[in-house]
Amino acid sequence: MKTLKPSSRWAIALSALLMVSAYFVPLWQILMWAPQYPEGLEMKIWINTLTGNVKIISALNHYIGMKHIEVSMFPEFSYMIYIVGLIIGVGLLTALANKKILLWIYVFLILGAGVGALVDFYLWGYDYGHNLDPTAPIVVPGMSYQPPLIGTKQLLNFTAFSGPDVGGWIFMVAGVLAVGTLAVEFFLSRKKIAVSATLH
Amino acid sequence: MKTTIDRITIALLATLMAVAFYQCKPKGPAEVTIGDAAAQVYVAPGKYDEFYNIVSGGFNGQIGVYGIPSGRLFRIIPVFSLSPESGYGFSEETKPMLNTSKGEVPWDDLHHIALSTTKGEHDGRWIFANGNNTPRVARVSFKSFRTEEILEIPNSGGNHSSPFITENTEYLVAGTRFSVPMGNKDVPINSYKENFKGSISFVKVDPQTGHMSIAFQLRTPGFNFDLSRAGKGPSHGWFFFSCYNTEQAYTLLEVNASQKDKDFIMAVNWKKAEEYLAQGKGRIEKVKYAHNIYSEKTHSATSTMETEVTVLDIEQLPDMVYFIPCPKSPHGCDVDPTGEYIVGSGKLAAMMPVFSFSKIQNAIAKKEFEGDFNGVPVIKYESALHGEVKKPGLGPLHTEFDEKGNAYTSFFVSSEIVKWNVKTLEILDRVPTYYSIGHLSVPGGPTSKPHGKYVIAYNKITKDRYLPTGPELTQSAQLYDISGEKMKLLLDFPTTGEPHYAEAIPASMITANSTKIYKIEENENPFAAKGEAQARVERKGNQVHVYMTAIRSHLTPDNIEGVNVGDEIYFHVTNLEQDWDVPHGFAIKGATNAEILIMPGETQTLKYKPTEVGVVPFYCTDFCSALHQEMSGYLRVSAAGVKTPLKFSTGVPDDATSGAGK
Amino acid sequence: MKKIIPFLVLGMLAACAPDKPKQDTEEYAQEETSKPNAVAENAMTGKGLGQVTHVTLNTPLEGERIGRGKAVYEMKCQACHKLNDQRVVGPGWSGVTKRRTPEWIMNMVTNTDMMLDKDPEAQKLLELCLTRMPNQNVSIGDARDILEFMRQNDGEK
Repeated sequence: MKTLKPSSRWAIALSALLMVSAYFVPLWQILMWAPQYPEGLEMKIWINTLTGNVKIISALNHYIGMKHIEVSMFPEFSYMIYIVGLIIGVGLLTALANKKILLWIYVFLILGAGVGALVDFYLWGYDYGHNLDPTAPIVVPGMSYQPPLIGTKQLLNFTAFSGPDVGGWIFMVAGVLAVGTLAVEFFLSRKKIAVSATLH
Repeated sequence: MKTTIDRITIALLATLMAVAFYQCKPKGPAEVTIGDAAAQVYVAPGKYDEFYNIVSGGFNGQIGVYGIPSGRLFRIIPVFSLSPESGYGFSEETKPMLNTSKGEVPWDDLHHIALSTTKGEHDGRWIFANGNNTPRVARVSFKSFRTEEILEIPNSGGNHSSPFITENTEYLVAGTRFSVPMGNKDVPINSYKENFKGSISFVKVDPQTGHMSIAFQLRTPGFNFDLSRAGKGPSHGWFFFSCYNTEQAYTLLEVNASQKDKDFIMAVNWKKAEEYLAQGKGRIEKVKYAHNIYSEKTHSATSTMETEVTVLDIEQLPDMVYFIPCPKSPHGCDVDPTGEYIVGSGKLAAMMPVFSFSKIQNAIAKKEFEGDFNGVPVIKYESALHGEVKKPGLGPLHTEFDEKGNAYTSFFVSSEIVKWNVKTLEILDRVPTYYSIGHLSVPGGPTSKPHGKYVIAYNKITKDRYLPTGPELTQSAQLYDISGEKMKLLLDFPTTGEPHYAEAIPASMITANSTKIYKIEENENPFAAKGEAQARVERKGNQVHVYMTAIRSHLTPDNIEGVNVGDEIYFHVTNLEQDWDVPHGFAIKGATNAEILIMPGETQTLKYKPTEVGVVPFYCTDFCSALHQEMSGYLRVSAAGVKTPLKFSTGVPDDATSGAGK
Repeated sequence: MKKIIPFLVLGMLAACAPDKPKQDTEEYAQEETSKPNAVAENAMTGKGLGQVTHVTLNTPLEGERIGRGKAVYEMKCQACHKLNDQRVVGPGWSGVTKRRTPEWIMNMVTNTDMMLDKDPEAQKLLELCLTRMPNQNVSIGDARDILEFMRQNDGEK
C-alpha cells in the first residue's frame, strides 16, 4: 500500500506545523557561568540570527584570542530559513498528497537537517576554539577552548553549557512525531501484509 | 491500542530527555559561610575591633578606616580630594594641601597604602598613600588621622608604583606608571623608544617629623612600572619593581604590551645609588613640583614650589640595577617576611615564579646574565628562580604573607584566593571571592612580622552581593579567617570609592596615641581668638576678618554689621572647647565653597563673598548640645558703597554699642 | 614641672570612677593617701567630688596666681561666665567664693563631668542653666590659679 493512515496524515501535518515555531523562538542556547558572572551569560541561536550577551562573550574571549562572534560569520543564517521552509512544505505535502514515499523523504530531510546542524555546529566550535589569534594577551600553551556540542564543559574560569532551546525542543518533538509515524506505518503495513497473507 | 501506548512511551521518553538535559546544567557559585562565622565577626556594642583596616579609596581620593573583624566604617580621611564635609581643601588653612605645579588639583586616584615600619615591623606612626593621576604622595598622621603632607612627583607620568617603603621607612618610592618624554617635550608619540623615559623617585622620610623630600630619581628605559616592594632582612638595601610593556608599545597596550613571554622585575640596589649620589654622580635637573605641609601648631598648611631633582641614570651607572625576566606582564612583586623570596605575579601567565634573593646575588656575582637591556644586565631566569607555583589559578595579581610561612595570592580571573607554601611552593587551599578580587590584605602582611589571623579581599565586581542601588554599586570586601588550615569566609562588608591596596594594624598600637583635642594654649594660628575677649571684627580694605569663637552653645560675635556686597569676609572660627568629641561646625547661607568643621582648640577659616544685600544667617552645623539649634547668628550685608558702621556683638541687645566686643 | 602646692591633699577617687583623670601625683599625694570614702565625705561636706579634698588659702592673695588665673579665664571660661552676677550660659562669678568652698570650685572646674553627674549642688545649677558645663581640660594647678582670680574678683585682698 502506498497511502497513509488518516492518523498518520494528521501526525505529519502537526509535525510540519510545529516546525513553523522555528521562525519565532530560539533553537539552541549556549550558557556560561564564571565566579564573577553569577547570573550567567547566554547566547541564543535563532534560525537567522544570534541574540543574548554576544558582545560580552566576544569581549571576554578576545583576551584568549578567539574571534569576535558576529551574525555575518555564519552563512547558515542566510539559507536556514529556506531549508526549514522546504521541510515544512514536504511535511504538509505528505499529509495532503498521502504518499508513503513522501513520508520517507520527510523523515530523511528532518533527520538530515538535525544531524547536519550538529555537525556544522561542531565544526564551527572546533574552529572557534582552536583557531586563536597568536598575539592574544593570554596564551596558555596547549589550551584550546572548543565549546561543548551538547552538555557542560569547563573552559578556564567559565563553565559552558550547550543544549537545545525551546525551538530545538519543538524541532525534536516534530522529528520524533515524524519518525514515530514512519515506524507506525512501517509496523502496521507489515502487519497488514501478514494479515492479508493469511486471508488469501 | 498498541500504537497509542507506543506514542505515549515516545512522549514520555522525550520528556525524560528534556528533564535530563536541564539537570546537567551547572548551578551558580554557592555562597556559604561555615559554622560560627557570625560570632567571629561580632563586636559587641561598646567594644573595640581588634584591627584598624586602612583602605585606599581609589577614585574617591580618600582613605577609609574600617574595623576588623566587624567591617565597620569609622572614618573617611580626605587626602587628595576636597571634602566639603570637613572643609578640607575649602578652608583657607587647608587649601594649600591640594596645590600642585599645575595649580589646585582637587582630586586624585589613591591606590596604595603603606604603613610606616621600623626594623620591618609596623610602628604605628604614619600612613603613606599615592596619587596615581597627578603624581603625588601623601603622609597621614596615625595620631590625628589627618593628611599632614603632600609631595608632588616631577618627571612622572602617573604615580602607580608607590608608596612602598623600606624596612625603616628610610625611603618610599614613586615609580611612574607611564613613561613620558622628560621635561615637558613636544615630540611625536611614535618616537616612544627614542624619547620616552621611565622615572623612579626615592623619597626620603625624616625619621622624626616624617617630612618627605625627593632624595634622587632613577632614570630608566621607557616602559611601565606597576608595583614594587622593598627588600627586608637580608635583602634590605634592595628594591624590586615589576615592569610591563617592555615591548615599548604606545598604542592598544592590551594587545601590544602583552606580546613578550617575559617582562621584567627590576632589582635596584639603593645603597649603591646612595653611594653614587654621595660621589656626585647624579645630575641636577630643573623641574617644578609642589611640597605641601600641614602644621598642627598653626592648624594651617603651606605650599612650597621646589625646583630641582638629582637624577641617576641606570643606563650609565653600573652595578646598581638588574633586570630579572618574569613571565607576562607582572603586576604584584611581593617580598616575603624573611626577605629571601620575591613573588612575581604575571597577570597573564599560567604559573607564578618565585625568585630567591640569595640566588640573585649569586647570579650577579657570577655574571649569569642572558644579555642586557639598554646596557642594564638581564639575569638568567633560571639563575634567579627559587621555583614556580604550578597551575595556581588564572590572573594572579597580589601576594600577602602570614606568620607561618604561607602566601596568599589573589586571582582576578578565576576570582579566588590561593594559599600556598612559600618554601615548598605547594598549593594548600583555595577559596572563591565574590567577585574578581583585586588586592588583598593580611594584617602585617607586607612586614617582617605579619600579625596574620585574617585575609581581606577587595573585590572589583559587586553585582548581586548587596541590595542594588541603581547602576552604581557599593564595593565589596570580604573577610576570611586564615587561622586554621582552610580559609573560611566570615563576612562581606561594603566599602567606599574603589579600594585598591589596604593594610591592617592591631588597634593596640594606635588607640592610646589618638589625638583627642588640640590644646587651645598651643594654638598658633595667626587668626585664632583664644578666648571670647579676643573675638572681634577687623576691616582691611575690602577684606573683613571675623575672629569668631565657638563654645556650647553660642558663636561670638553672633551679630555682625557693616559689611558690603563685594567684600571678602573671612570667618576665622576658633573652637574654645577642650573636651573630647565636641567639634563645632560653621556654615553661612549662600557660601559657594563648603562648611568647616572645627575640632576642640582648633581654628579654621571659611571665606565668604556676599553677592546680594540682606541679612544672612550662619550657624553651627555639628549638633553639639541641647541648645545647638540656638547656636547661630546674623550677618548684615549692605549694598556696595553704603557706609553702615562696623559693629559686632553677642548677647547684648542692640543699643548702638558700635565696635564693642561684648 | 609646675610649682609645688603643699596645701593640696589628694583623695583617691572611688574605684567606680569610669575614667580616672590624670593625676599630678607627686604634688598632691603628700598628706593623705588612699581614702575610699573621700568622695562620699566630700559630697557631705560641700567639697564636691574629685581629687581636691583640702585647699589652704593664703592672705594676702598671690599676685602671680591671679595673673595666670585671669589668662586661663579669658581663654577657657569667659565665653560662658561673666565676672558680675549676670548669668549668660553659666552663672556669673561674682560672689562664688562666698557661696562655695574652695574645694568645690576646684573640683567643679577639674572634674566637671562627675560633678554634673553626682554632686547635688552642681546638678541644681545644670537644671537652672540647661547647658552642661564642658570639661575644659583645666589642670589642678590652673584651677588653683583660677580660684585665686575668683577671690580677687570677690574683693579679697
